[in-house]
Amino acid sequence: MNIISQQRINQWLDKRIPAANAFQLDHRNIFIFPAKFGLLYLMLCLLLFLLGTNYQNNLMLLLCYFLLALFLVNLLSAYVNFARLSVSMGKIPEVYASDDVYLPLWINADKSLKTPMHGIVNIGFMGQKVNQWFDCDAFSNPVSLSYPCQHRGWQQAERITFSCYYPLGLFKCWTHLAFNRKILVFPKPLACPLELVPAPLSSEETPRASNNLSLNTNQDDFSHLKAYQIGEPLRHVAWKQVAKGRGMLSKEFNGSSHNVAWLTLNNSTAEHIEKTLSKLCFQVLELSRADQQFGLDLAYIRIAPASGENHRLACLTALAQYPTIADKAGFN
Amino acid sequence: MSLWHKFIFKSKRNKVKQSAARDRQHQANNPAFIICSLVLIIFDLSLLDTVLGWISLLVACSVTIRIAIYFAYQKHMPTLRTLNLLALLSIIGLIYSAWPLGFLIGMVNLLVLACALKLMQVRSQRDFYQLVVSLLFLLGCGFIFQQSMAFTLLYSLLSLAVILALGFFHAPNLKVKQQLKQLTMLCLQALPIGLLLFLLLPQLPPLWQTPKAKSSETGLADKITPGDIARLSQSSELAFRATFEGNAPTQQNRYWRAIVMEDFDGRSWQIHPLRKQNRRFQQLVQQEFSPIVAGPSIDYDVIAEPTQQHWLYALDIAVPRTVKSQSEIWQSDEFQLISHQPLVSQYQYALRSYVQTMPRQPLSELDRKLNLSLPTQGNPLTQKWVSTLRQQYPHEQAFINVLLDYFKTENFSYTLRPKPMFVDPVDTFLFEQQAGFCSHYASALAYSLRLGGIPARIVAGYQGGELMAKARQQQYLSVYQYDAHAWVEAWLPDSGWTRLDPTTLVAPDRINFGLRQAMQEEGSFLADSPFALARLTNIALFNNLRLLLADMDYNWSRWVLGFDSQKQQDLFKAIVGKLTPQRLAMLGLAIVAVIGLLLTLFFMPHWYANRLNPVQALYQKALTLLGKNGQIRAHWQGPLDFSLHIQQHLPEAISQPFKRLTESYLQLNYQTQGQDKHKSVSHKKSINTMRRELRLLKNQLSKHQFL
Repeated sequence: MNIISQQRINQWLDKRIPAANAFQLDHRNIFIFPAKFGLLYLMLCLLLFLLGTNYQNNLMLLLCYFLLALFLVNLLSAYVNFARLSVSMGKIPEVYASDDVYLPLWINADKSLKTPMHGIVNIGFMGQKVNQWFDCDAFSNPVSLSYPCQHRGWQQAERITFSCYYPLGLFKCWTHLAFNRKILVFPKPLACPLELVPAPLSSEETPRASNNLSLNTNQDDFSHLKAYQIGEPLRHVAWKQVAKGRGMLSKEFNGSSHNVAWLTLNNSTAEHIEKTLSKLCFQVLELSRADQQFGLDLAYIRIAPASGENHRLACLTALAQYPTIADKAGFN
Repeated sequence: MSLWHKFIFKSKRNKVKQSAARDRQHQANNPAFIICSLVLIIFDLSLLDTVLGWISLLVACSVTIRIAIYFAYQKHMPTLRTLNLLALLSIIGLIYSAWPLGFLIGMVNLLVLACALKLMQVRSQRDFYQLVVSLLFLLGCGFIFQQSMAFTLLYSLLSLAVILALGFFHAPNLKVKQQLKQLTMLCLQALPIGLLLFLLLPQLPPLWQTPKAKSSETGLADKITPGDIARLSQSSELAFRATFEGNAPTQQNRYWRAIVMEDFDGRSWQIHPLRKQNRRFQQLVQQEFSPIVAGPSIDYDVIAEPTQQHWLYALDIAVPRTVKSQSEIWQSDEFQLISHQPLVSQYQYALRSYVQTMPRQPLSELDRKLNLSLPTQGNPLTQKWVSTLRQQYPHEQAFINVLLDYFKTENFSYTLRPKPMFVDPVDTFLFEQQAGFCSHYASALAYSLRLGGIPARIVAGYQGGELMAKARQQQYLSVYQYDAHAWVEAWLPDSGWTRLDPTTLVAPDRINFGLRQAMQEEGSFLADSPFALARLTNIALFNNLRLLLADMDYNWSRWVLGFDSQKQQDLFKAIVGKLTPQRLAMLGLAIVAVIGLLLTLFFMPHWYANRLNPVQALYQKALTLLGKNGQIRAHWQGPLDFSLHIQQHLPEAISQPFKRLTESYLQLNYQTQGQDKHKSVSHKKSINTMRRELRLLKNQLSKHQFL
């Protein structure tokens, strides 16, 4: 029963507030209702009315009516204030399974309103307890909201609920926003020794090296200096040159291009596949950190040996997207 | 392990933790709590004689704790266990000490106590909300005790302060000035709606019997003991006001009857127990005395100040004039008016007095018996003196004249500082001291009359009052506590009940010009309150100030405090004419409409302000226009690209205005902002350019009919 109603609500919400990248709140996506305190406040008004009538006390009645009018006015001002909120989702950082992803939310970033929004805004995932808030009068963009990622693969974050009680807490304004941004969760890295295999014979590359390939690139010969590019390991930066004021230069080595090897998915059993993927993930990270060339061979996809940031991402993506047992069985 | 990537996120996690820490911190540092503390302590000070001493002490404690926490002198709040123990003890203390004080005072004390404890304890949002609601309710209750303009102002300000605290609670980092601006705006918007509701929502009669406040009763005492030290006549507090429909009676005729005392024990006069019993019985069976009335009459409204008692003030012989007053006032056999409800707050009632019908009233057997009863012993000299006189003058009128002559011819003097007379007070007064104030004279005369076989009693009330008359306004009379007076009523066969005021004979100024004149030489007028404005009447400025304040207070009482269902109906009549159900229904609808209109008026500008800024809106409009004509901007196309695209695909007449519009748009959106002064001027200009170009674009498009 509960699940069905929940589904209904979700369907209705999907129709009413479809997923988007950025939101400007307006009458279509704002919900407003008296808060618990608002109901308490109304009871206070009723009590004042009864007492004022019984004592024939006009001042008490005046106070009662004034508070009542304030309640009414507060409805609109709460709405107007909340409607000043605009939210967009920023670039989502990398995330590994069983970690929390931090969703960066940009609040009122590209707007300069004549009257800015005020008050504390609570944020949380729909249906869960509110766990975070920011103060519209003192915060720095982006506001990050954490979301636990249990499993690798593509994930859709839940709707994010924004709620605000400004100005008097009598009304709760809230909205459930869905961002059409999927999160790719990489496998959880699992420490293990490197297991590189030499390139298959079919490869164009010269087969070289061994199982116990060293990560140490120091033995490679220094070739020349070149301009530093973002993404290159900091270890390669020629700090002496930087100190001399010649700008960021990085050292180029001769030998690194020859250390080509492959990470492969051993035909391991289904139970261990996740563990193996985790280990591969660790190796990819380690090799990338060492700026070493390597290829990745996962039965369903082969990534040619390379190095650098893009290569690392490609490998991690491939690992993350490796079909799960459920996928294979055709449940999905 | 994957330590390294944990490290990456460490900084972010710290941030979250920090925010949680800030959460706790903002709780204690929030000005909301300080504001609530101040409101509570000020309220407590304003009701110091109602709130119990030890509760005030507790309030002071909790406010101190709050302030200490706010300024971080103290880091920890008292633990919950401590507070629960304190609460338990306080409740026991309250039950013990406030039980005899009655429901109302007990409730106020309980509320103050609850607020104080809550203030110590506030931790969560819920606690704070409870505190706010209790404070607002407490302020509302304050109006039961204090209704003057000054206190109304004070309590209104305190209520606004509570609302400010609410604002601070929900936006702790908003600047004070901003906060005040926002909330002032809100309150100003709420005020007309609140007033409208107050004026037009029906004023209901009391829903049930209100518990009586057992606070100190003020005003006239229901027992007069002339031998005691003078207590009355020494307060410049207002007793009541009367607004006359026509002309007010002259000073000599303003005898305001309040209490009739028929029981004399040789020392003091009081209401006869038999009368009290009778009254209770008659009220039970809803029986009421109605005097025989005829002749000329005076219509007036009285606004009585709270006395916590039942009796009302009226000129002889008064009957309630309106239905409302009739239902609320009970008439007793001695022509007293008695309110069903005790006067816990200002009470307004409408009367009609028939000034010449007193002699027509009959004397019942009970009246005769009560008004002739004598104490068994005491005052032997007076007894002897009267019996001799009575033998000499058998005729009633002659006897009375002789008695009055005695006051005139002997060396009696009027003073507010008589010496106490403890033994045989009438003897001492008549034959030894011969100095006293009204109740001495009234007591001596009434006793002598009774000794002489003439039914007589003492009437306590007020005499005189200060008449405020203005050209445009109705005349009204302010009667102060120092106008309190006592006189004698005797029943004569020819003329019925006759008012006899021996004080007039001794101090004619007291009656003709009021107490102030009469006491000029003695200097005892308001001797106990040297700073009372009423003492300073000879300084013109102060007198004007006093009269202005009195006038303001009168209008406040009459129009704000005294606004009742009667006045409301008059207001309705003034608006819709005849009161038919249809018209009232229309009126109700009109009110709702007016409130709706007001709200729209208040929030229209904000709705517009929340929309897109004009620059964006204009550009979007242009895009929509072009879109209708088949030129849709792809999401990867920048404004410049799109403009070029239009130039290539559409004739110049259309592309030129769009190009200029795009240029203005880019300039407005992306130019680095120069000096502010120039900015606003050029900004406006550019927007106007955009508007113009948009119009041109529209015209051209419609001309070319690209569809």
